Amino acid sequence: MTTRTAAAPNRTHWNSVLEATLVPALLVFAWQLWAMTLATDPRSPSPTHVATTFVDLVSNGGLIGATLQSLGRVVVGFGLALVCGVVLGLLMGSNRRIRDIFDPIVESFRPIAPMAILPVAILWFGTGTPAALSIVTYAAFFPLLVNTVHGVSRVDRKLVLAAMTMGVPRARILARVILPAALPSIMLGSRLAMGVAWTAIIAAELGVGAKSGGGGSGGIGQMMFVFYAYSIDLNAIVVCMIVVGVVALLIDRLFRFVEYRLMPWRH
Amino acid sequence: MTMNVTNHRVPEQGVSRAAGVDDPASSQRSEPDAAPALPTATKPGAIRRIVSTRAFIAVRSFAAFLALWYLLAAWVGNPIQLPSPLRVAAALISLGADGELFDHALISTTRLAISLVVAVLLAVPLGFFMGLSPKANAYLDPVVELLRPISGIAWIPLGLFIFGVGDVLPVFIMVYVAFFPLLLNTIAGVRHVDGKLVNAARTMGVGRRAMLRHVIVPAALPTVMVGFRLAFAGAWAAIIAAELIGSPSGLGFAIEWYRQLLMTPKVYGFIVVIGIVGYLCDLALRALQRWLTPWAEGMELA
Amino acid sequence: MNQETAMSKLRLRNVAKHFIAPRTGQLTTAVTDVNLDIETGEFVCIVGPSGCGKSTVLNLIAGLDTPTSGTIEANGAPIVAPGADRGVMFQDYALMPWMSVHDNIGFGLNYGTPGEGLTREQREKRIRHFVDLVRLNGSEKKYPHQLSGGMRQRVALARLLANGPDILLMDEPLGALDSQTRLILQVELLRIWGETAPREQRKTAIFITHDIEEAVFLGDRVVVMSTHPGRVKAIIPVDLPRPRSEHIRADPRFGQLSDEIWDLIRDEAYRAIDGTEAPAGPKATAVEKVE
Repeated sequence: MTTRTAAAPNRTHWNSVLEATLVPALLVFAWQLWAMTLATDPRSPSPTHVATTFVDLVSNGGLIGATLQSLGRVVVGFGLALVCGVVLGLLMGSNRRIRDIFDPIVESFRPIAPMAILPVAILWFGTGTPAALSIVTYAAFFPLLVNTVHGVSRVDRKLVLAAMTMGVPRARILARVILPAALPSIMLGSRLAMGVAWTAIIAAELGVGAKSGGGGSGGIGQMMFVFYAYSIDLNAIVVCMIVVGVVALLIDRLFRFVEYRLMPWRH
Repeated sequence: MTMNVTNHRVPEQGVSRAAGVDDPASSQRSEPDAAPALPTATKPGAIRRIVSTRAFIAVRSFAAFLALWYLLAAWVGNPIQLPSPLRVAAALISLGADGELFDHALISTTRLAISLVVAVLLAVPLGFFMGLSPKANAYLDPVVELLRPISGIAWIPLGLFIFGVGDVLPVFIMVYVAFFPLLLNTIAGVRHVDGKLVNAARTMGVGRRAMLRHVIVPAALPTVMVGFRLAFAGAWAAIIAAELIGSPSGLGFAIEWYRQLLMTPKVYGFIVVIGIVGYLCDLALRALQRWLTPWAEGMELA
Repeated sequence: MNQETAMSKLRLRNVAKHFIAPRTGQLTTAVTDVNLDIETGEFVCIVGPSGCGKSTVLNLIAGLDTPTSGTIEANGAPIVAPGADRGVMFQDYALMPWMSVHDNIGFGLNYGTPGEGLTREQREKRIRHFVDLVRLNGSEKKYPHQLSGGMRQRVALARLLANGPDILLMDEPLGALDSQTRLILQVELLRIWGETAPREQRKTAIFITHDIEEAVFLGDRVVVMSTHPGRVKAIIPVDLPRPRSEHIRADPRFGQLSDEIWDLIRDEAYRAIDGTEAPAGPKATAVEKVE
């Protein structure tokens, strides 16, 4: 009896580990087999080569530097979008007239994909950081704005009325009632915006790289393009893809954690 | 017409303005013909009514936007960086006249449609399978979670190597991008089917196939449609990137091509077209959503 | 009982409120011809079928709405805006979900006019006093969603009282509770309102409910409203002794009063459900033509 109760959680634990790893492990194994036997092109990536390339790229510092450069752009672009999106969102969400005025403009820019701004950004800023930054800001702006407006306009009006009956001045109602009530939406918007921004920076760096003959813009997106266009190092490209994925995952987790800490009343 | 005065969604504006928050009831609805509430109890004149309609305000906003653009273009004084809206309009007309505009738009929307269909065919059945079978979900979910964070854009260099520059690359990227929101929303939709509905059907002796066809599919469909619209939004952003980098045709290609030729009015013209096509596609999807799931009016994208 | 005196705490004269429906532009009369005088320390309940404008009247007194015509005076001065002298308890309490019980009770003290001129310690003391009064000790750090409906109601009551209002305006504050909790909180409400204190020391209270027995149990007077348009149909004095306990429900007078009020409302209540007429009752009163 005691052994059974002790073994049961253990067994389920092993079960879940098996479930989580079996199919991915099989896929990696199949990939390796394919690379060693069927692949005709000697440049075909394989898990072992990806691993060694990863070690190389990390040890020469290039990968970390490029990732940090991209991340830096994302953080700055996100910050700009956060300020613009939340301020305009608060105004549009709390004032019907402002929303009616800006809504048509916002809605007509929203379906314009961030990458469509790239040619204009290159014309305006060249192929350096400002061009990439403008695309990131543009991409991150809409989720922030839309979610802020949504959050503010859905604030329970009774909370505002309640504050009014207690003689709370208007500016303080904005800070103490509307902002915290809209915070869940704003946080959701931030998380979405950060995800979009990270995708956009890869796209922007790739695009700038592709259209300026490699270019000097840097970042992990451009690094990928160089590996494609110049050294044709597919293993390195896969390493970059994995890094892109891991960073995206970390960003998402970080924002969920912040959400959790900032809004204890939601748990 | 009875006024339900016991709730606070009273269509009176004095309060909402002073409170700094609009009537939440009307902000949820987005029909364009919802005229704003009038602050006074007097009957408004015809002119006032027209002036306060959404359509009029929208036109006014666009006019202000175009005027600002015009002034900014004059101030910048560099038509290669910022052409005036008139030049862009002229470029749009000439692009439309020689059919180039429609060619590129048609190519892009065809690719988009093919990708979405392929993604639906792959993701929705798999989503139902994973949603209905916890075992399948336990084994397959890790793969999904490993691949999902890698954005479609990051596949472009590898895709370029595998597929080369052409039609296949944008379609591949879009299918990849559209796959995950569709899959995850389908799984969520199937999983969150109200157990009471399933039990109710069971007490009426409904068989497995009928259960799937008449209970689970309709109950999950609204969530699947939300996934479909998310998939479209992602794919639309991705196609521009994919065409811009790895395709000799399509809207994404066109903007970059004319940028390199420094024919800026055409660049802006195509950006306008991207916006319009994206908007029209979204309208079409909304219509599809209403048609397929008319009972799920309230469900919206986050 | 209903004679006019110059000393009325609250005075509503020919008050009417119209709304314009946003979509149709149609003009709707929420309430009309409301005349009401409420004395200091009086507990007045307003009952009526849904749509009779009970909440509108409350919002007008709170200053959250302005009447289309007529005047509303508190202590002889017209009401133009919300103010902390008239505290409101909302139907679903309107507690800030991101604030603990303690912070919710202190909301008006910390951010509104009631806290002006008070030091931090004074405000704290006041908050603690009202936490004690509604018996929420030990739950100060909890968030509203962690509380039962009855506890949330007490938080709302404490917040209301912490602001030291002159007039208490309560919009179906017990409506969301199960019936046992309701009975308990009705007694509690009377205790906190100051039932045992002399009349001049009690707060003036206006209490909206759709529960006739609740109105009779709590009120000094019951204002019965009718729909289409919303107006005062009758004002019934409740001549039951105070302090009241649960057992007063067994009093024959309690049943008589409840019956009397139900007879005033029943036809419209039936109509509100599905438009059917009430079955012919013993004392079915005539109602105004609808629409």
